Order: sequence, then structure tokens, then C-alpha cells
Amino acid sequence: MALLQVESVGVVFGGLAALTDVSLAVEAGTVCAVIGPNGAGKTTLFNAISGYERPQTGEVRLDGRVVTGLPPHAISRLGLRRTFQNGGLFGDMTVLENVMVGADRSTRSTIQGVLLGLARDRAAERGAVAAVRAMLARVGIDRLEQARVRDLSFGQQRLVEITRALISQPRVLLLDEPAVGLSQAERDALVTTLRELAGQGIAVLLVEHVIDLVMAVSDRVMVLNFGRVLAEGTPAEMRANQAVLEAYLGSA
Amino acid sequence: MRVNARRLLWPAVLILAALPPFFVNDYVQYILNSVLVYAVVAVGFNIVLGYAGQLAFANAAFFGVGAYTTAICMGRWHWPFLLALLAAALVTALVGLVVSLPALRLRAYYLAIVTLAFGELLRWGYIHADWLTLGSSGLAVPAASVFGLSLASDRARYWLFVCLTALVLWGSANLLRSRFGRAVVAVRENEAAAAAMGIAPALTKIGAFAWSGCIVGIGGAMFALLLGRINPESFDLSQLLLHFGLVMIGGLGSLFGSVAGAVVLTAAPELLRNVAGLEEIVFSLLLIGVLLFMPKGLAGLAARAAVLRERLYLG
Repeated sequence: MALLQVESVGVVFGGLAALTDVSLAVEAGTVCAVIGPNGAGKTTLFNAISGYERPQTGEVRLDGRVVTGLPPHAISRLGLRRTFQNGGLFGDMTVLENVMVGADRSTRSTIQGVLLGLARDRAAERGAVAAVRAMLARVGIDRLEQARVRDLSFGQQRLVEITRALISQPRVLLLDEPAVGLSQAERDALVTTLRELAGQGIAVLLVEHVIDLVMAVSDRVMVLNFGRVLAEGTPAEMRANQAVLEAYLGSA
Repeated sequence: MRVNARRLLWPAVLILAALPPFFVNDYVQYILNSVLVYAVVAVGFNIVLGYAGQLAFANAAFFGVGAYTTAICMGRWHWPFLLALLAAALVTALVGLVVSLPALRLRAYYLAIVTLAFGELLRWGYIHADWLTLGSSGLAVPAASVFGLSLASDRARYWLFVCLTALVLWGSANLLRSRFGRAVVAVRENEAAAAAMGIAPALTKIGAFAWSGCIVGIGGAMFALLLGRINPESFDLSQLLLHFGLVMIGGLGSLFGSVAGAVVLTAAPELLRNVAGLEEIVFSLLLIGVLLFMPKGLAGLAARAAVLRERLYLG
């Protein structure tokens, strides 16, 4: 069974169907993209998977385990991380602090130990700082460590958000329009990064409007239209699909 | 050498803080004691208002619960001070937990109104629960003794207050620069994103309120000792307004600011006491001025003067 399995999920907002009978499977080590016109239900699908919307019908399974109905933080603790379309950062915190929050679950300090300043817990906190700094260096934003996230450029903010998601070593990664605001060079770097992540066995699901990027990075592409699956297949198959061309690609 | 200097900083500050009773007169001693009480109160209020970003105004209520718990335990049940202090901290933490429950559902103005009402309800309770609080005549608080030392004078109490203030500051600083403090701020900044990091927003808010309550409860216990007698009128809206002023003028989300706010707002009225009405006018102008021109308060000024940001365990 696929690492992330979405089975016949339906979401209704006040009588209006946002998603109808959407099924999707993302295998470990693959990148899957969801595309579709604005209002097609892409972000709603993300919210239904990560616990921010409760689907009225269907099920979401993470590594075989049903997670439908769990709150977002519980789903996150099972190894699913997501980014947000409109900035999910903690604006008033520094880059270091933002990514430290991403490492919250893997920081092994206890509340009583921290309160009393015990050596073991101080060491756990320092260890987390070291791990985050190593990660920032790998992504190439270590010199921004003390910058307040609110003061960064849009592209830099995206990088921080992805880094913050990766620090927890998730098994499933959901990226909501990660290429918005990125330059061409940054987009190319993103493609490389996503393929590397897939190479490490992570299941990557992304919502994206930048078609070139989607075609370059994805193993599978799903096209949503009016909350329904219009087509699903390899990038090449999507390019050749007449319905997809009419609904989406052709209009671009 | 820099590391050594830093290690010596806090012991040096503590030693300096222990000296005033040898030099100052009784009046100044009393003011210094008040400064310490309000420094603790400001730290506690800042956790909810500044760090957690919750517009909750139950702080005078927490303060009252801490003071009344201490007064009842010591005055009526003859408990030793340290036990009464522990009770005050725990009971007020529990009250903080209760107040956090509406905060899970209500935002901004609605939460402000509910918590204001809660404070007034408690004040009504102090007045009418005669059997426990002796109503509006209030409760006498006997002099504390700690480890066999009687703390009957303001001078003696000062050292106790310095120790309690230092403990509160140290514990809060430790928590704030740990993953727990970061979680509180993260939930303030973006609740959905914090949840996506595996942080439970509701539990984090409950924890912040309980932590705030515990600290303000300790402040209330100190207040009971300071006055030696408490009554319901001590915990009315003007008390709350003073607490609000401490945090806003000191600086939201800053421990240093909380202490600075306490120094300014406790010492300044004493200097202005000789001119009728000036106290209130200066307080109001100060609050307006800070809100308009320096939204980060005294702490914001200090941060601009010297970039001293050590918010993580780095050394």
C-alpha cells in the first residue's frame, strides 16, 4: 500500500461540494503533483489530508493507518509535514527560531528539566540548535539565522518554511505552491531538492501552478477540476490528455 | 574571557540586589519591596499578554487569588509561609487553567470581556464569602517566618522578595528560551502552522495560562506579606490597569521590560505624590506615549541601544 493513500474523499462547505470522490496514492520515494484551475479544490485536498478540514466521506491513510478525524498536530506527529500557500511562518521569530519550532517534537527536553536548568535538558536544547544550524547550512540560509522572518524576501521565506518542514525528517511532505515568488534559478534548485527528498524515500505531494516545474519534478500528476479528479497519470500522459488540455493546460 | 564575564554577571547582580537594606530608609525600603512584587506580577502577565498574545484580563483576579490563598492559609489556618506560598502558586495556576478554557474558543475583545467579568466576579466572591474571606473587612496576614527566621520588617522581607523574584525570572527565562517557550510564541504567531509542526495549540495555551497564573499567584503571596492586610478593594479594575501599564510600558514579550516597567511605575508615583492628581496624569500620559511612540516599551528602547539578544541556549 502507498505511504499516503486518499480514498474517495469528499468535502462539502455549506452544501457546496469542494471535493467529490477524490482518490490518490503517493508511494514512498515519489513526487506527485496536483494541478488544476483556481478553485479546483487543491488546497482543500491538502487541508483534508493534514487534518485542517474533516472530510464528510472517504478516508485518508498514512502508512496504512486511518488519520481522518485526527487533529492537525496529531497527524503531523505521525510523520506528515506541510507548508502553507499564504505563508505559514512565525513572522516575529528569527529564522533559527522558526526552524527550531519545526524540531519541537525531536527536541528531547522536558518541562521540569528546562525549568530547573538541568544539564541533560540544556544539552538537548543545544543539540537541537546544532541540528538546526547544520540544516540551515545545508539549505544555504545559515547566514540568515538571526534575521526576523518577516524581514526576508518571499523566496527566502519559502526556503525557511521548507527547511522547517524537513528538520523533523517527515515521511510525507505536502507543499502548497512552493515555487510562488521564486526566481528561475531558485525553481531549478527546488526541482533538485525535491528529487533528492524523493531519493531519500519521502513521499512528496505538491500543489503547483508552475507547469514547467511540475512536469520536470513529478512522477505522477493529478488534475483536479471543480473538485473532481479529471485525470491522473505520468506528466507525459497529462500533456497528451485532451480533457486536461481543454480544462487547464490549453488555457495557459 | 567573555564567557567568564557572563557567568559572573548574574551573581554580581544578585549580590548588588541584596545590599539596599543596609543603606536605605524605611520608606524607600517599602518602595523597593513593592517594585519586586510588581516585577513578578508583570512577568506573569507578560506570559499571557505578550508571549502568548492572549487579550486576557484576569490578571488582577490571579493576583487576588494568590493573595487571598496566602492570607487564608497563614491568617486563618496558621500554615507556615512557604507552604502557603506553594498553595498560592498551585491554586492560582489552577485558576489560570480554568481561565484558559474560554481562551480556547474566544478571540480578542470577547476574551477580554469574559476575563474582565471573571475578575469582577471573584471580587464579588471575596466580599460575599464571609465565612472564608471575612468579606469587605478583609484579612490580616501575620508576619512570615522562613526556616526559623522571622520576617517581621520590610528589610527582612526584602531579601525573601529578592529570592522569589530571582527564582521567577530564572525559571521563566529558562522556559521561554526552551522549546516550550518557542511553542507559546509560535501559537501566538500562527496557530495553524504551529499545529503543522506537531504542537498542540490548545494544550500550549492552557500551559501558558497556568504558568502565568502560578507566577502572578506568587506575586499575590508577596503582596499579602507586603501589606499585612488584604481586602477585596485591592483587586479591582485600577489594580488591573496598573498591571496592564507595567507590561505595556515595560514592553510586551520581554522579561527585562517587565522588571523595568515595575521600577518605573512603582517608583514614579512616589516621586509625584506631593502634587495632587499628578500621579494619575503622568501614568496616563506615559501609557499613551508608549503606545503611540514605542510599541515595544522600555525593552524596545533598550534593544535598540544595545542588541542583546540571547534567546537560546548557545553558551
